[in-house]
Amino acid sequence: MKPYPVWLIAKSVLLEAVRRREIYAIVLVATLLIGAVMTVDFFELEGLTKFYREVALKIMSVATALTVIVLAARQLPREFETRTIYPLMAKPISRFAFLCGKLLGVMIAAAFCFGLFMVVYLCGAAYLGSSVPWALFAQYIYLQIVMLLILATLSFWLSMLLNLDAVITIGAIFYVFAATFTTLTTYIYDFTTPIGQFLIRVVIYAVPQLTLLDLSEKAVHAQAWAPLRFATMAQLTLYGLFFSALYFSLAAIWFRRKPL
Amino acid sequence: MSEQHGASVIEVENLVVEYGKGARRHRAVDGITFAVQPGECVGFIGANGAGKSTTMKTLMGFIFPTSGTARVFGHKAGTVESRRRIGYLPEVALYYPFMKARELLELYGGLSGLSRAQLRARIPALLEKVGLGGKENVLLRQFSKGMQQRLGIAQSLIAEPDALIFDELSSGLDPLGRYDLRQVLLELKNSGTTIFFSSHELSEVESLCDRIVMIHKGRVLKQAPVSELMKPLNQFEVVFVPPAGFEVPESAARHDLRQDGEMCRLLVNDIDGYPRVLSDLTARGVEIRRTASRTVSLEDYFIELVREAEAKP
Repeated sequence: MKPYPVWLIAKSVLLEAVRRREIYAIVLVATLLIGAVMTVDFFELEGLTKFYREVALKIMSVATALTVIVLAARQLPREFETRTIYPLMAKPISRFAFLCGKLLGVMIAAAFCFGLFMVVYLCGAAYLGSSVPWALFAQYIYLQIVMLLILATLSFWLSMLLNLDAVITIGAIFYVFAATFTTLTTYIYDFTTPIGQFLIRVVIYAVPQLTLLDLSEKAVHAQAWAPLRFATMAQLTLYGLFFSALYFSLAAIWFRRKPL
Repeated sequence: MSEQHGASVIEVENLVVEYGKGARRHRAVDGITFAVQPGECVGFIGANGAGKSTTMKTLMGFIFPTSGTARVFGHKAGTVESRRRIGYLPEVALYYPFMKARELLELYGGLSGLSRAQLRARIPALLEKVGLGGKENVLLRQFSKGMQQRLGIAQSLIAEPDALIFDELSSGLDPLGRYDLRQVLLELKNSGTTIFFSSHELSEVESLCDRIVMIHKGRVLKQAPVSELMKPLNQFEVVFVPPAGFEVPESAARHDLRQDGEMCRLLVNDIDGYPRVLSDLTARGVEIRRTASRTVSLEDYFIELVREAEAKP
């Protein structure tokens, strides 16, 4: 597979994301929310900076995740709907390379969106005089990107099976469910029957535990947490890549035989 | 790498394409066979739902044959190799509204393997050729349907392909656009580009094509060179008064001769044999009262063929 055609497809996705201005709208809304957090005045300064970090990072995570789900979910259905896929796939490019280009484009757009959030966040932190735990913060960003990759590949796969609205809905439910399921199971696991415990274990292994990739809590309480060890980061990366590869492979298999 | 076969640009053999499953199964293409040779311009005609677009989509690899084979430049249809030398214009396609005309052609040209320098040189000339000169930096959301179709033609020609597959040639074009397109295609045809296209404009097919493949309900009704197909469609009528003891000359005997009172009416279906018939009649002393040519268009012929096919049980 040649990299240049993949890049060309990715560039078209990126161009669409930038020219349609949806990313800017999301960043603007998130910025307003983050700005609103800074007006809260019932904390001491230290409490406010922690509150700011916690809420701002959460807003950024949710907004970026939803952006990626929407962007990834609509790539293929939109191509079919507008029939732009015909002249594209008439060129000498394989369906796999086309899909890789779409994924790369979505991930670059996500990184661009996340980058804009970072600028907003860092400006807010500087305004409040809050220190940034750089090492942990970098790990947080890196694992967020891994998480976004899982969401993007999942959305691609779902978009082979369902219509656009359904993909966005299921993608969003999955994001919320996968992010909270682990927390929920710690409360209910001991109170369930052996069959229930078995089922919970099956779900835990079958569904990616996105909370594992979320270091926002640690970044907020940085004084209590050291940055993760390299081995842990590598394991988390492999964990994320396993699910991403699984979903992307499923998407590629479906797309390979899909009539256009 | 797919295996290479024969020298035909397009080879379709016993192609069957079905949509749906179970009770909703529908056979869109029902065992068609035809080939397009290098340098040929072949028109693919049929009524709506005849299976033209399905066949073309199969050739491009957008849909898959239920059985039979489709090959392009000797490669299995749909493989990357099979699409390398093809320019394709879809029946209906929109182009990314957020892109400019130049950016779109850079995308398609880049995917076809053209370098930036090649694209820089080709794009303005190509846009000029399809009547979009000076529109390089206009966003496509500002393009009309006709302009989009012109751009579609430009994208199909960007890599200077050896063969063109156009699904509904002049769909969405105004008369001027059709004229421009015909000129472009004639130029390409004269330069040896293989052209395979479908169109509902049968006069366009008649004027451009070397050969025609007619399909109906997924089956080939007729395929023949245009000259061969049109020859028997052009009838010549000779009305004459035969002399006493007139014997019908051999050259006229194989045509439709009817007597109406003292007059005879001969319908000649053979343009090449017509002068011979006239001279043989004159030599036998007939008094020719009237001659006329009756031209049947491809459209009339097509309608007749379809009606015949419909009438068959």
